[in-house]
Amino acid sequence: MARRLEADRVLFGAVVCLVLFGIVMVYSASAVIAAQQYHSSTYFLVRQVAWATLGLLLMVGVMNVDYRRLKNPMLIFPALGLQLILLVLVLFSSLNHDTHRWLHLGPATFQPSELSKIVLIIFLAYFLSLRKNRVNDWSETLLPVGLIAGLDVLLVLREPDFGTALALAVIVGAMLFAAGLRVAYMAYAVVASIPAIYWLVFHVGYRYRRILAFLHPYAHSLGAGFQIIQSYIAVGSGGILGVGLMEGKEKLFFLPEPQTDFIFGVIGEELGLIGGLVVLGLFGVILWRGLRAAFRAKDDFGRLLALGLTAMIVIQALVNVSVVVGLLPTKGIPLPFISYGGSSLVFSLIEMGILLNISQNTS
Amino acid sequence: MASSKPQTEGSAALESPVVRRTLVLAAFLFLWMLVVALRLYDLQVIQYVRWLARGERQQQQVVEIAPQRGIIYDRNLHPLAMSLPAESIYAVPNQIPDPGMVVHLLAPILKLDPQDLLGQFKAYRSFCWIERKVSHEQAARVKALNLKGIYFEKEMKRFYPNGDLAAQVLGYVGMDNNGLAGLEYSFNSLMKGKSGRVLLETDARHHSFKSVEQPGQPGQNLVLTLDRGIQFIAERELAKIVKKYHAAGGVVIVQNPHTGDILAMASQPTFNPNDFEQAPAGATENRAVAWIYEPGSTFKLVTISAALQEGLASPDQVINCQEGQIVVAGIVTHDWHPFGDLTVAQVLMNSSEVGTIKIGLRLGEQRLYDWILRYGFDRRTDIGLASEERGLLEPPSRWSGISIADISTGQGVGITPLQLVDAYSAVANGGVMMKPRIVSATGDGSDLKPVPVSPGRRILSPQTDEEMKQMLEGVVTGGTGRPAQLDGYSAAGKTGTAQKIDSHGRYSHHHYIASFIGFAPVENPAVTILVAIDTPVGAIYGDQVAAPAFKFIAEQTLNYLSVPQDQPSQPLQVASLTHPAARRQQRLATSGNPPNNFESAEAATRPVSANAGVWSPGLSSVGTVILDDGPRVTVPDFAGQSARQVASECQALGFEAELSGLGVAVEQTPPAGAQVPLHTSVWVRLAR
Repeated sequence: MARRLEADRVLFGAVVCLVLFGIVMVYSASAVIAAQQYHSSTYFLVRQVAWATLGLLLMVGVMNVDYRRLKNPMLIFPALGLQLILLVLVLFSSLNHDTHRWLHLGPATFQPSELSKIVLIIFLAYFLSLRKNRVNDWSETLLPVGLIAGLDVLLVLREPDFGTALALAVIVGAMLFAAGLRVAYMAYAVVASIPAIYWLVFHVGYRYRRILAFLHPYAHSLGAGFQIIQSYIAVGSGGILGVGLMEGKEKLFFLPEPQTDFIFGVIGEELGLIGGLVVLGLFGVILWRGLRAAFRAKDDFGRLLALGLTAMIVIQALVNVSVVVGLLPTKGIPLPFISYGGSSLVFSLIEMGILLNISQNTS
Repeated sequence: MASSKPQTEGSAALESPVVRRTLVLAAFLFLWMLVVALRLYDLQVIQYVRWLARGERQQQQVVEIAPQRGIIYDRNLHPLAMSLPAESIYAVPNQIPDPGMVVHLLAPILKLDPQDLLGQFKAYRSFCWIERKVSHEQAARVKALNLKGIYFEKEMKRFYPNGDLAAQVLGYVGMDNNGLAGLEYSFNSLMKGKSGRVLLETDARHHSFKSVEQPGQPGQNLVLTLDRGIQFIAERELAKIVKKYHAAGGVVIVQNPHTGDILAMASQPTFNPNDFEQAPAGATENRAVAWIYEPGSTFKLVTISAALQEGLASPDQVINCQEGQIVVAGIVTHDWHPFGDLTVAQVLMNSSEVGTIKIGLRLGEQRLYDWILRYGFDRRTDIGLASEERGLLEPPSRWSGISIADISTGQGVGITPLQLVDAYSAVANGGVMMKPRIVSATGDGSDLKPVPVSPGRRILSPQTDEEMKQMLEGVVTGGTGRPAQLDGYSAAGKTGTAQKIDSHGRYSHHHYIASFIGFAPVENPAVTILVAIDTPVGAIYGDQVAAPAFKFIAEQTLNYLSVPQDQPSQPLQVASLTHPAARRQQRLATSGNPPNNFESAEAATRPVSANAGVWSPGLSSVGTVILDDGPRVTVPDFAGQSARQVASECQALGFEAELSGLGVAVEQTPPAGAQVPLHTSVWVRLAR
């Protein structure tokens, strides 16, 4: 009984919807700023369209490559090495916004931490499916995983990019948890990381101010709390139906980074509760269909890979949106598929390509 | 295969810890999503009003700065409307250390209520206007206080240097730089330019505000066909007549019949657009295009020229005018005089009602109607002035039996003054009607794009036109239009006395519209001029009321335009020499110039400075030479202008400019608003 191999159309549709919606919102959020800074209101739009085109082509390409070909140590370990080298290299790149996050490749820039995310997920899926019944074995499983993941997290922290580092740590934790890590071990890890997090927060001035601002925005309404209040104003003033596409005022120099990290604020203002819930719903569709692919995968590698990729996208989206609506302190995480930015968009789409391939290779 | 053994694989998968743990993770993530959704509901529905209000308050930090509005020039590039910088004062109350003190200092200078101002400071923490477009002196005094948190913004204030000159044509501009009437309204989008923006940003670390200025784009300039000198002549003569006859209002239009260019368009009552809020009721209406009136006898041109062109009559053909009575559709119409046999030319010359009605009857309803449309009535001219009317004319199917008699003689048809001027200009222009034009070019600065003169439309054959010209000249030389005879020039034209419709819908026996329309010189006319007076008191006939005004306007305009005389000039008549100034002037004139050239000499020696409406050379209404003590001009406020602007404005207004220093004008003598004679020296100090 031959079964036609067919990727999950619902998942595919949700991703394409988010990408197209993102293009519209990037234009709306950035037109004024682009006109001011680059003398062309379509500066960000044109680049986002180019990246989206590249990303969608790659997604369709990857979708047609059997994911089991990734389950290959000759591919995974060199890739692990490459991403480590790039994470080291990026520390020597020129400063941008006081951070070393971007590698310059000719006219394009590239964030190595995006590559790290996908490589780490593939590695964990491979490694944990190999150690299927020995996940809680210290020397065989936890030490190697801890070393590799810890190195990645530390290097990303050096950039510094606290948000991405935390996302990496969370995704490693989530995959270990899914693979059957003892809950007690997870508790130990959390307790052990508390001093580190404490130090990272309280000894880096801007993070401390962000936390304070998060807790007491009005006491810092002209300083660090400014972003949070602007974000509240943007989302809150949108109401149920929003003020209308392109009509938002908060993106006019009030809302920080309106086309990247705070783009959900622009969505909330211009398209209201309806627009916000639609975006949230589309990520819900990705979570549902991604996990469905995980459950139906033929092997543990596929199961863990689908879970990791799905969790990666959805956790990033939830963190980003939670920051915008004031449920989490400010950190720099883009909204997948929607925020302006080439590396994030292209890698997110490649990840979806893999997930779509898993969805068509079901048992 | 997939369905044959689902249990084993499926149950194995379900039991695997990966699936169970994944379900836990999924539940956690869905829960998180739900929390975010509830939070969105909280912010956007429950707290909606609060964040909306807060957003609106801070969004006032984006301040629109009106762009430099385009200048309106007359045909010789004298500015008729311009925008001068005026200072506006605003506050950033957050930065004011002691608001009470600041209010105490500012309120008296700006004549503001201290409590109001303090309230504003409390309500708008990050931005509020204190007062917009203040005087230069007030701005200087506030600047001298050097207060923290008080800032100045240059805004543009519309200024009409000639006061009420061409007020209804130009229109006026509101506080936010949108034209509200006249050309300022109809060409608003062209002249307005693009707004600049000041963005007041919060600097997160320094708790202060900085402003980013995004410059706007200046609007385009308009060059009009109006001539400031002719406009002034037209307005002055119109004002005199309206005053003399206690009329409700009036209109004068001067047009070049060869191009359709409007050289002057005057309307009474009038107003000062610099102070448009004080305009009397009806004064802002441009009667030349917005007033529908019944023309009366001036409309006989249409009836008679149509009959000539259709071959239904010839100038020498005799018409029996039936001793002043005719019955049409059972209704008797009386002529103003019991004429017997008249030629068609004499019918026009004497403005015979019966004669004209009989010519109209030869045309018949449909042909008369077609000819009225052919002359451009019942249709807007699309000259570009706001609120232009099309007139009132019923189609023949709705005419009553008497309508043809009424309409042949210019009653029962509503027209605008401009439509009638176009019709007479067509006759003056050899039978070809030009589209009227008031804007001759648009563009920025020196890059002016001319508005093309549209090709004309032939109404009458050259032969018919020549006959009409001779007949209209006959009206002036020997008919009802004799008071319009010019000194030194031939003229052709027609009088009109129309009854107005009273409040009961009947023709009034008290309210008339007296008009005269004509062109001069008859061969190759330079101007077509209409004078129409609404409800004159004491005299009602076009030849009494309007024809003399036509004469004064035509004589002065033709001299002003240096049109060569085609008739022998009469010796200068000095009817009254009682006024000493007049006597002095007359001596001066006769000693220096041949008497018959007095007017042109006058026009030549005095640059036309129509500022503030005090320029007054030439003839008074009775042909007597009475001059004012000398032309006086209002000194404008030069504050903030560059040396080049000051110099060019001085030149335009007829001052000698003396400049000292570098930068923009900060001080001047005599002060702004002073009335001084022409050629006075104006001293202006510039500073950075």
